[in-house]
Amino acid sequence: MAKRIKGTLRVIGISFEIELRRNLTDGFVLFGIVIQPLIVAFTALWMLKDKGPDYAIFIVVGSAMTGLWTALLFNSGNSIIGERWAGTLETLVGTPSSLRVIVFGKVLANITQSLFSMIGCYTLISLVMGYPLTLSRPVFFLISILLTVFAFVGFGVIIASLFILIPDFQRLQNTLEFPIYILCGFLFPIALLPGWTTPISYILSPYWAARALHGSALGALEINQIYISWVMLIFFSAVYIIGSSALYRLVLKRARVDATLNTTG
Amino acid sequence: MNAIEIFNLKRQFKTTIGVIKRQTKEVVAVDGISFDIQEGELFGLLGPNGAGKTTTIKMLTTLLIPSSGTATIMGLDVVKDAEKIRPRIGFIFGGERGLYWRLSGLDNLRYFATLYYVDVNIAKKKIPELIELVGLKGREKEKVEGYSRGMRQRLHIARALLHDPEVLFLDEPTMGLDPVGAREMRITIRDLQSAKKTILLTTHYMFEADALCERIAVINKGKIIALNTPEKLKHTVQDLSVVEIEIFGIPPKFLEKVRKLEFVDSVVVETHNQRQILLVHTPKGPSGISDIVEALNGLRLGKIVTREPTLEDAYVRLVGGNCNGQEN
Repeated sequence: MAKRIKGTLRVIGISFEIELRRNLTDGFVLFGIVIQPLIVAFTALWMLKDKGPDYAIFIVVGSAMTGLWTALLFNSGNSIIGERWAGTLETLVGTPSSLRVIVFGKVLANITQSLFSMIGCYTLISLVMGYPLTLSRPVFFLISILLTVFAFVGFGVIIASLFILIPDFQRLQNTLEFPIYILCGFLFPIALLPGWTTPISYILSPYWAARALHGSALGALEINQIYISWVMLIFFSAVYIIGSSALYRLVLKRARVDATLNTTG
Repeated sequence: MNAIEIFNLKRQFKTTIGVIKRQTKEVVAVDGISFDIQEGELFGLLGPNGAGKTTTIKMLTTLLIPSSGTATIMGLDVVKDAEKIRPRIGFIFGGERGLYWRLSGLDNLRYFATLYYVDVNIAKKKIPELIELVGLKGREKEKVEGYSRGMRQRLHIARALLHDPEVLFLDEPTMGLDPVGAREMRITIRDLQSAKKTILLTTHYMFEADALCERIAVINKGKIIALNTPEKLKHTVQDLSVVEIEIFGIPPKFLEKVRKLEFVDSVVVETHNQRQILLVHTPKGPSGISDIVEALNGLRLGKIVTREPTLEDAYVRLVGGNCNGQEN
């Protein structure tokens, strides 16, 4: 058992490292994680210069989360597409390692680098503009950030499976971007949405991440409500990760039947 | 003991044709093939493009699920026991895909060593050994995108050997290599055979199959049409001689005239830049030359020689040899 866990952690570690190295040599990804967040952060903070600090931090956290989701959807999705085109998706499936664990490492790398990029950019620009961003509950905010990584990785592992199953899934990438912003309450509260969408928001782990981050940044949530957000976030992320085991078995079986692991069939 | 057992293996693919009136069409890539490969045997699978060689290998390497039939590797079923098979096999597919081009050769090997659960200490020793074996020493820290085609092919071999697999699937491993690189690759394959690895090799190069393989199966249109040792396959064309005629431009009507000669078994044209070599398989031998030359009357002919048939001639006869070859 210990050997198996060690092996799995090594696979996550090397997939994380290889994904980071690949991203750091890709101009498109580098633009997305260094230049684009700087532009977004500068624009957002410039626009909010004269607004109250509460409103500003809500928008900053929200726009950082939208950036995180976009990075996850595009970097992780394109990474799977790239593997298929390079012929390495087939090589990965042919190894004894679980593709789900490999994807976990890749998504973790994409989320971590995007998160650091977002935090770095907002901190840098706010310092440069002399517009400090204040957090109501910094410790709770920090813990919420760590849990947000978990929420996005769990969600990302599920999303990545769709790119494995459906070669044309890239066409839906753009259409998936905005519904998640809206349903997860990144930029405005889900209370503004029709009632029937609320259950959908509740089963999305990034919603609980957004709630915990906004709540701890603004101090708008009671401490026990932040705890509830954490518990729900952990619960749904764990459900995704455990459920993804069966999902990947099905997806890989389908891909081996439909010959979609490679572009050449 | 048999390392690989294949029984009535079949694989179909669905394709769609048309834009408005879309129709689904089923293409049979592998059509009920059966053969066994013994442990430690180097077995060749030959066939023209699209014959079903790569599809067969992909089913055996657990990357495709057969439509019907069964296949086992070391007694394990390729569908039910895929996860148990993967640590015991290694595979390379011809060409340059399947590697991370923006990473170094060394990083590629480190990555796959971990994915094959090679112990850290073993990997530290094994990776430099393999880099040396495939002749990449000194270049291993460079990005793969800067490698030549041959270097990438050799990196594939190193990757496939990282976990010391019992069974190796080599799909056209010398494809696109220069003559020196191809010869080195054949030496590597021979060394693997000496190390008692079971190897399934596909190739387009008949001399390569003749030199390396203990048994050969010829596959065409998804079916096995011959299975024997190279020597016995050559015996199937023992009744023929091959007349080779150098020609500088041959219109199709002249080719047809040669084909229609009653003593001609098959005709192949190989193109070498500005000239063609017409290979006429005939039981008549040198005595048929005058009639063939008569049929080509009016064309500029060069050297004419008669030789004994090779494995390639046996292959041409098996796969229906009235075709145009293309060489440089």
